[in-house]
Amino acid sequence: MSDFCRTYRWSAFTSWQVPAEHTSGVFCAAACSCNGLPIRAGRLKAAIRLEQEQSFELSDRYARTRPDPRSAKVAAFQVRGRFLTALALRIDSASADAEFYAQLDEQLGKGRQLFMGAPIVLDLANAPDFADHSRMRDLVEKLRARDLQVFGVQNAPAIDARQLQTLGLITLAPGREAPVPRDTNPAPAVAQTVTQAPLAENKVIRTPVRSGQIVVAEHGDLTIVGSVASGAELVAAGNIHVYGNLRGRAIAGCHGNENTHIFCQSLNAELVAIAGVYQTSETIEDTARERNTHIYLKDEKICMEVIA
Amino acid sequence: MTTELKDKPPLGRVIVVTSGKGGVGKTTSSAAISAALAKQGFRTVVVDFDVGLRNLDMIMGCERRVVFDFINVIQGDAKLKQALIKDKRLETLSILPTSQTRDKDALTKEGVEQILNELKTEFDYIVCDSPAGIERGAQLAMYYADEAVVVTNPEVSSVRDSDRVLGLLNSQTKRAETADAEPIKAQVLITRYDQSRVDIGEMMTVEDVLEILAVPLLGVIPESKAILRASNVGTPVVLDGPSAAAQAYEDAVTRLTGTELEMRIVEERRPGLFRRMFGRAT
Repeated sequence: MSDFCRTYRWSAFTSWQVPAEHTSGVFCAAACSCNGLPIRAGRLKAAIRLEQEQSFELSDRYARTRPDPRSAKVAAFQVRGRFLTALALRIDSASADAEFYAQLDEQLGKGRQLFMGAPIVLDLANAPDFADHSRMRDLVEKLRARDLQVFGVQNAPAIDARQLQTLGLITLAPGREAPVPRDTNPAPAVAQTVTQAPLAENKVIRTPVRSGQIVVAEHGDLTIVGSVASGAELVAAGNIHVYGNLRGRAIAGCHGNENTHIFCQSLNAELVAIAGVYQTSETIEDTARERNTHIYLKDEKICMEVIA
Repeated sequence: MTTELKDKPPLGRVIVVTSGKGGVGKTTSSAAISAALAKQGFRTVVVDFDVGLRNLDMIMGCERRVVFDFINVIQGDAKLKQALIKDKRLETLSILPTSQTRDKDALTKEGVEQILNELKTEFDYIVCDSPAGIERGAQLAMYYADEAVVVTNPEVSSVRDSDRVLGLLNSQTKRAETADAEPIKAQVLITRYDQSRVDIGEMMTVEDVLEILAVPLLGVIPESKAILRASNVGTPVVLDGPSAAAQAYEDAVTRLTGTELEMRIVEERRPGLFRRMFGRAT
């Protein structure tokens, strides 16, 4: 039985950039303290509940060893959060025999464009025997011969990471996945999970958001009917709408979607961020202050437009 | 004055007086509110939750009568009846003092609940004087509350802290955790309000404060020398002769008991010309 596939998301490296100037920069969900913004990684980690906590530890480490921002004149590079969708190939047969490859080829024949260029992770949860190096090498070679871009292995605690490296593979911490029923016909399931984006879960809050509260819409838009106090925080994967005074922080597109927007009836925000690009209260133009404002990203810059 | 005992079963309402920020007048307000409630004939007890920083008994003028305290009762060293101090001025008013030698860790959720339940069987209003901050002491003071009086000074840091506390009242209390319970009825009490400083823009206006906090206004207490004087002699300000602050507290308490009363900002009487010329010498 060859079986597939779940969409599988992981963040590779999430960290900060060295801001070239103090006016705007990249605001990262996981960044520690960029540009004088004390944002504790731990708190946002809890708030955003990303699956791969590893990436945060990584970013923590980067953040600690960053050069002194005062001495950094021009940013030579930017490290930004990135989410990558990978296909997980869960192997359910005990050995990679002719039957296995026949089923695989049949699957590839059905939807080759699905696999074109897609990074693939081998999931060995049901096939621990593949942890053996020679079998793994054989499997990877045959998969790569079929233009499948295998780059990692998950759910294989017994595997030797160093030997994997010789095959150009890395081990991945298991991601949180929605289980796919095994007995159903795998083909439509594949089509479904890949063509449909993860279902948006919008959130509507009808009470004022108080100082110290964090409201997170992890998979969709966030709408607040009421005001958002200074010291409160809104985080959304999608857009943020505030029908009231926005005095706290608003972070839209927290998973990196640059096509997200923030709307508020009166802009007094401490900070607004879209897909990691942020602007603080100091640099909000007076024309938009306390006005009905639409905030969006254009050419990696925050734009504020007064509506009505 | 209506201090006759009512024969009705006790209301058993738990009111927490809280603020987040320190020094805004929680203890003064707790003393004044409980005294004003008692004055209106309600059987009232005021409980000091500020373990380790015992102040309420001084404001109430009973610090020399403290034998057992809140913590003794929680730990079973004394009975509640032994720890309650009856006020000498108002027979409907009692004080449950706290310990000066222990700290907030001596408070337990179960202990607090048990004592409040016992008090509910005897009193109409149980006023809980919360410590400053949002840690254990303050959390336990608000946890079992039915109503909250959020004391705020008209300045930004106090308002922001009050906002934080309002958030906690909506999330970290028994009523918030119980599925179909009515949420805590929170009202804001603005203290140390100085109209002359508001007029010259040095102080936030009542409207500004309410716009941020978005909860009903219970009252506005003017900055008043009467409050300091009353504290120094150990008398709740409402029992210490007529003053603008006392009037404002009485109005606030009337609203607290559910009576509609038009909001007025009582001002400290400006000294007249005669007093300004000769009053200083006296």
